[in-house]
Amino acid sequence: MSRFPDFIRLKRLLAVASLAAITTLMGCGEKLSSTEQKQSAPNVEKSAEHAKQERYDIGQAATKEQIAGWDIDVRPDGMGLPEGEGSVEDGEMLYEDKCASCHGTFGEGEGRWPKLAGGVGTLSQERPDKTVGSYWPYASTLWDYIRRAMPFPAPQSLAVDEVYAITAYVLNLNDLVDDDFVLSRDNFSTIEMPNKDGFFVDDRPDVKNPRCLSDCIDPATIKIVETIAGITPTAHIKEGGTDARAYSEEEMGSEESGAESAGKNVHDSACKICHGSGVAGAPVTGNSDDWQERIKQDKALIYQHALEGFQGDSGVMPAKGGQAQLDDNAVKAAVDYMLEQSH
Amino acid sequence: MLDSDNDSMSQSGKGSARTKAMPSLQSLSAEAESIKGADRRGFLKGLLAMTGAVATGQAAGATSATNLPPQVPSWTKSLGRGVVSKPYGAPSVYEKDVIRRTVPWLTAESISSISMSPLHELKGLITPNGLVFERYHAGVPEIDPEQHRLIIHGLVERPLIFTMEELQRFPSVSEIKFIECPANGGMEWKGPQMEGLQFTHGMLSCCEWTGVRLSTLLAEVGVKPEGKWVLAEGADGAAMARSIPIEKALDDTLVVYAQNGEALRPEQGYPVRLLNPGWEGNTSVKWLRRLEIGDKPWHMREETSKYTDLMADGRARKFTFVQECNSVITSPCPEKPWKNAGWYEIEGLAWSGRGTIKAVDISFDGGVNWVNAPLKGMVTSKSLTRFGYRFKWPGGPLLLQSRAVDETGYVQPTLRQLREQRGVNSIYHKNAIHTWRVEADGSVRNVQIP
Repeated sequence: MSRFPDFIRLKRLLAVASLAAITTLMGCGEKLSSTEQKQSAPNVEKSAEHAKQERYDIGQAATKEQIAGWDIDVRPDGMGLPEGEGSVEDGEMLYEDKCASCHGTFGEGEGRWPKLAGGVGTLSQERPDKTVGSYWPYASTLWDYIRRAMPFPAPQSLAVDEVYAITAYVLNLNDLVDDDFVLSRDNFSTIEMPNKDGFFVDDRPDVKNPRCLSDCIDPATIKIVETIAGITPTAHIKEGGTDARAYSEEEMGSEESGAESAGKNVHDSACKICHGSGVAGAPVTGNSDDWQERIKQDKALIYQHALEGFQGDSGVMPAKGGQAQLDDNAVKAAVDYMLEQSH
Repeated sequence: MLDSDNDSMSQSGKGSARTKAMPSLQSLSAEAESIKGADRRGFLKGLLAMTGAVATGQAAGATSATNLPPQVPSWTKSLGRGVVSKPYGAPSVYEKDVIRRTVPWLTAESISSISMSPLHELKGLITPNGLVFERYHAGVPEIDPEQHRLIIHGLVERPLIFTMEELQRFPSVSEIKFIECPANGGMEWKGPQMEGLQFTHGMLSCCEWTGVRLSTLLAEVGVKPEGKWVLAEGADGAAMARSIPIEKALDDTLVVYAQNGEALRPEQGYPVRLLNPGWEGNTSVKWLRRLEIGDKPWHMREETSKYTDLMADGRARKFTFVQECNSVITSPCPEKPWKNAGWYEIEGLAWSGRGTIKAVDISFDGGVNWVNAPLKGMVTSKSLTRFGYRFKWPGGPLLLQSRAVDETGYVQPTLRQLREQRGVNSIYHKNAIHTWRVEADGSVRNVQIP
């Protein structure tokens, strides 16, 4: 408890504070008297405002509706699974449309995108193949992840039944459910993943290195393994090295127009996923061979294909690249950017 | 959208172009003498503006011998930039190579990828904000802090929702902690393949983080006795989520909104992220939007499919949270070779997710004999710790290694010990003693002694 009434304490504090400010500003050697220092500090410490609080009553009560909109997690025991269902059959169509361009028609994975199926029995081999079927311990993780983060360019865009259907299809790709299976909240717990017992909780430290200081190993036994040359980006340290910024190369140029820059932003966040690498037959941005025939077309038709979707000879362009939230003009700007980059 | 690195590079380009097109300063000054009154003031104003441009242009130019003694350097005979010419400062144009770098073939897309800090260029313990390594699972969201909320719910007495302003009203703490991706060094389980320190160890940074203790927020919502785990979830396009045991949450986990004195960078979770000191980086969920208290872990994708450590027998460790004691020599290293025989300070960094670094030893002969290397500067728990060893290099080859010991007595292991225990497919948590081979000419190569 303070020995001073509140207003006196406040006055003292203000006086000390302004004195300190003056001292700092003047930069001179004038110091607070030691009595003032000693008295002011304990008073501050003892004031009720500085006592350790159990609660501060900051923040608002979160409503059920607010929580429901964000509470998307699903646990292995089924907690969080919403009412709904989806068939392997429906899942196959959705998968072809939304997933196959990266994960491959059979879940084999395009390029370095994740492989989803196969690999059972490889975990202890030299090159383990960690897929949903061979590695993932719980089906709930698959459902949760598809809802929270897939499809990669348009996260949290799937309806609940679509998540059930795609989950069912990925399980089917791994031969874990039959072709006519319909996955629902009610039968979810019947799904058992092959590698469910393949995990154990961290038990490190698992090695014990004695702190030896001399003659720790026999020098004659030292063998040296050299670094593989040529796969590290070394342009900054070596003549003729490769670039560590290959992803952002195009950002280094300063010749970009304003429209290009707007289109580029849309392109990089929405289109580049496929048009950067050419998955699913997408023409690669910047590759003029890929674009020659398209550039000859009427621009309005190119816009229309981008906005409404298009089935081409080599692949599928989903409407707005699957990013339904994009403004039409944003999509057009991205098209302009891609054309400018690729003529 | 350009970051400071790109910004400074493009600025230097423009500066050089302008310099070429401009008449000499001497001739302009002479011209000014002949102009009077308001015209003269206007002319001088323009001249000053151009002087700034010239200085910028020269700064970006090649090294010129005319700036060395006994000549007086051009920057001594001209004026520099004025205040707020760069309202948010940027490094010298000469530091343009001090940047984050990635290994493009490592991942399918830059949106879900990782970059590394240039450890070879860093001094002291703190990583500047623009150089903190990046790891995104769905790119960097641009979050409006006014529209960002943190919800805490689940097994609690009072589910609460916080604005950023409300979060910053709680008593704050500032702590220096390292953050490291568990895949740091993971490219080299099977053998050495990276030709530089930035790539072997750069998924590592250290900042002063400011925020509120998670225990403070948990007291506010009132965790029910059956609440044993906390699910932390991000607001990014991956809605990145991890399960954290309540013991950690109540111990030293922070909810941070600032790093190194300023608001978090977007890359680091702006406006708010979790920080689990000493634990693998991905548990420090960025762009934090939700904390749910539960009685069991969730087994999210990033704690089952990824961030689990596959052992040689095909089984895998899960919830491998702690970043065990590790160290590396940062000078010399492949990017910072020695040139001539003589005195050098061998420097390096040591860190442990279990607490404080107690000692670091250095070997010059590939681990046959070791000497103690003194710790330098501040030594604090779950922070980077710098060590230095003064050494007169006689010339000739060396097999340089460092070996750190932490407060628990744990001694950084050899690669052989780790491989014997775990095989070579665990990807994560490789904290083995690292070897640099110093060649007779002072160049440095990354090698392994299996």
